[in-house]
Amino acid sequence: MKIHDEIDNYLVADLHSDLSNEEQNALHVHLVECASCRRAHQENKIMNKVLEEKFANEKPDVAFEQRMLAGFRNRIPQKTGGVAKFIVDLMPLRATQVAAVAALLVALVQVGRMITGEGAIRRHEELGNSVDLYQRPAATQSLNGRAKAPSSPLPPERQLYNFADLTPQVGTASRGYSANDASEPAGSTASTSGEFDKKQTDTYRKDDITRLPVRAPASTDLVKRLPATESKTAEQTENEPMELAIAAAPSEATPSVPAALANRKLIRNATVDLEIVSFDDALQKITAFANEDRGYIATTSSEKQENGKLKGQIVVKVLPENLDRFLQKIRGLGELKNQTLGTEDITKAYFDTDARLKNARVMERRLIDMLKKKSDDINDLLQVEKELGRVREQIEQMQGELKFWDSQVQFATVTISLAEKDMEEPAKFLLKERAQLALYTPEVEKVYNDLKALASPKVQITNAQLDRDNTGRVSARVSMLIAPEESDGVISKAKAMGRVENFQVQTERVAQGGEGMSENAKTKRDKVALNISISRDEQEQAFQQTTLRIRTSAVDEKAKKLRDLAGKQGGRVRASSFSRDPDGREYANVTLRVPMKNYNALIQSLDSLGKVENVSVQRQDRSGGQIDEANAPADLSIQVYSQGNIVSSDTGLIATLRRTISQSAGAIMWSLRMIGVAIAFLAPWVIALVGIIWLARRIRSRRS
Amino acid sequence: MMEASEREVYRAAIHGDREAFEMIIRTQSRALFAIAYGILQNREEAEDAVQDALVKAWKSGWRVRDPEKFPAWLSMIARHRARDVFRKRRTVPLSEMREIPAAETPQTTTIDRHLDSALASLPELHRAAISLRYFEEMDYATIENRLGLTNGSVRGILGRALASMRKQLKPALASEQS
Repeated sequence: MKIHDEIDNYLVADLHSDLSNEEQNALHVHLVECASCRRAHQENKIMNKVLEEKFANEKPDVAFEQRMLAGFRNRIPQKTGGVAKFIVDLMPLRATQVAAVAALLVALVQVGRMITGEGAIRRHEELGNSVDLYQRPAATQSLNGRAKAPSSPLPPERQLYNFADLTPQVGTASRGYSANDASEPAGSTASTSGEFDKKQTDTYRKDDITRLPVRAPASTDLVKRLPATESKTAEQTENEPMELAIAAAPSEATPSVPAALANRKLIRNATVDLEIVSFDDALQKITAFANEDRGYIATTSSEKQENGKLKGQIVVKVLPENLDRFLQKIRGLGELKNQTLGTEDITKAYFDTDARLKNARVMERRLIDMLKKKSDDINDLLQVEKELGRVREQIEQMQGELKFWDSQVQFATVTISLAEKDMEEPAKFLLKERAQLALYTPEVEKVYNDLKALASPKVQITNAQLDRDNTGRVSARVSMLIAPEESDGVISKAKAMGRVENFQVQTERVAQGGEGMSENAKTKRDKVALNISISRDEQEQAFQQTTLRIRTSAVDEKAKKLRDLAGKQGGRVRASSFSRDPDGREYANVTLRVPMKNYNALIQSLDSLGKVENVSVQRQDRSGGQIDEANAPADLSIQVYSQGNIVSSDTGLIATLRRTISQSAGAIMWSLRMIGVAIAFLAPWVIALVGIIWLARRIRSRRS
Repeated sequence: MMEASEREVYRAAIHGDREAFEMIIRTQSRALFAIAYGILQNREEAEDAVQDALVKAWKSGWRVRDPEKFPAWLSMIARHRARDVFRKRRTVPLSEMREIPAAETPQTTTIDRHLDSALASLPELHRAAISLRYFEEMDYATIENRLGLTNGSVRGILGRALASMRKQLKPALASEQS
């Protein structure tokens, strides 16, 4: 049964011999039983044949593969060699990919180092090495120069040849060194050059011992070359033993090293800034130190400050080799503020000049010889004389220059700036006082004149002015300078002249001849500057403002009484008014000003006048300045009023009738207005209600 | 399943060895042609499709890593390519296309023409399987491998394909039989 359902598959597989033996047997058994499957089998066989025939016809020809290959080669031409192809070929390899990633990582790390500056550190290290490299040849060559210079009468050009070689190298070496050093904290740079010198001498020693055997042939070469270029035989003979000495005995070089240094012309100088306790002590000690190191004090200068402190400068000359020791000693004297140490190499210039001097001497000798040869021509003689003069002048100048350099080289110059501690301490203090006074008085002019009258040698009026504007307001301003001992008296006098509104004193302590604090400096009182402003009383703003009402039956009488009360308490009436309205109510408005000290007494006495109502108090608290509160003005505005008559003063039958009719007419008008409002309010509701009822009725009638 | 030497050739081709790839062209292009022909039913187009597929396969050579899967992958490219070509010419009906070769070969029997239309009505995969079988006489397992099919599915595919063709060609077959 199963085969019958899948007969198609079985038949095809049978045709294509894809069936296993059991399947084949089963199929054949089924084909014997089933006629329809047999028919299908027959048809399938034909189908298969037809298909085989068809596809045999359509089969690609023999050259098909060749065509495909040719087409492929045509479209993708073979790349012969080439780096790109190589890389492309490499790409699929796992190893290549790993290597590429690694290379990328390394590149990134390098970029990172460049950015973070890690590389810079390494470069410094390299620089340090290069300094060494520079110094080695310098050492060997200077040895060469040293060997010759003191003894040989070699012409200066030859010597110069050596030094010319030597100096730029020293220069680069020191430059390299300081560049290297720049990365160190700035504080250490002061002693850099000193250390550098030491370092250099160290290198010389080491190199002389270790390098000389190696270098010796080279230096002998050099020595040989020198005489070759020089035509004097005498020198050649002189050079030969030395050549031997260098080549044969390297150990001999060691003791002669300082000579190599000594041969160089170095000017050393130092400046030191010190803060010391006592100038004289320091000077004594420095003198002692200088003597110890076989030096001397060249100049000293000192200056006394206003606050009694000394400062000055001492120039000391010491032997260059003792300079470092001397500086160490000096440092112990006090606090080191600043130190610089400089070395100037004038070797080249020195020997340059020296050479020119020798040339000039030769020239001089020749000229003298020429003079000796008697010449008849006067003109020639004159010319020779003239030339001789010029040459001698040159010689003198150069001699002077050399001498100066010698002196500079012989001794190192140390410039010591000394300053005693607390140099900046002030010499004294000035106590400056400035006072501001504001006065209120009814009589401005009088007070103004009184103030001016205070003038005396100890009280100077610096400025006084009186202003009166077109509204009649008067104010005045007086500025004065008062001697300190008089100031208190004058100020209290001025205060008594009016009401003091404001009094301010500013005191300032000004340091003189320095800054900061000082325990010993004296404090002096300076003149007191006093500024007074005078104004009229009325212009003053009230310190406190009160409004209140008093109800009473007899307004007029009570208002008069109020004025009396105010007068008793030292108050002044500033304004008053009286009014009466048609209802018989009476109002009296009174504005008063009393001093604050009497304010409470006045308020209490007001109770006797009637019922006090609606009290409101406003107080202006002025910040800053001193206020004479007791005398400060307080303003009161009081309204005294009556209740008015219950029955109008307008009496009589007609008046009553008229009022009654007019009032009833008013009542009718009012009720009419109310009705109108009510209708307007109700009308929409009524209309809506009627409409609804009508609709309801209509609906009901239609239903029925 | 696959011979070791064959596998080595595929591996080398995957790694971009041109000679290995050319070797594959020599050995495999007929199978690819069979697939393309099965889909397109046109020799020229099938050849072009195979050519394109080979070039494409070379250019994207290292997308496949497993040499076992290389032939199936190659066939896939050829099938896609053939399908693209087929889609492009869709505007022209298949029957019309074959009018021309039919006219050129007057001795074609009626059953051949019926066969063509019956083939054309089959699904693309069935046609590819048939042409692999009848062109290359491949056994079922190889066909399955080529077309990326599961084991044993080709028997069903071919069974259904032939049954459906048989039904369509019944009258013609009857006349043939007789």
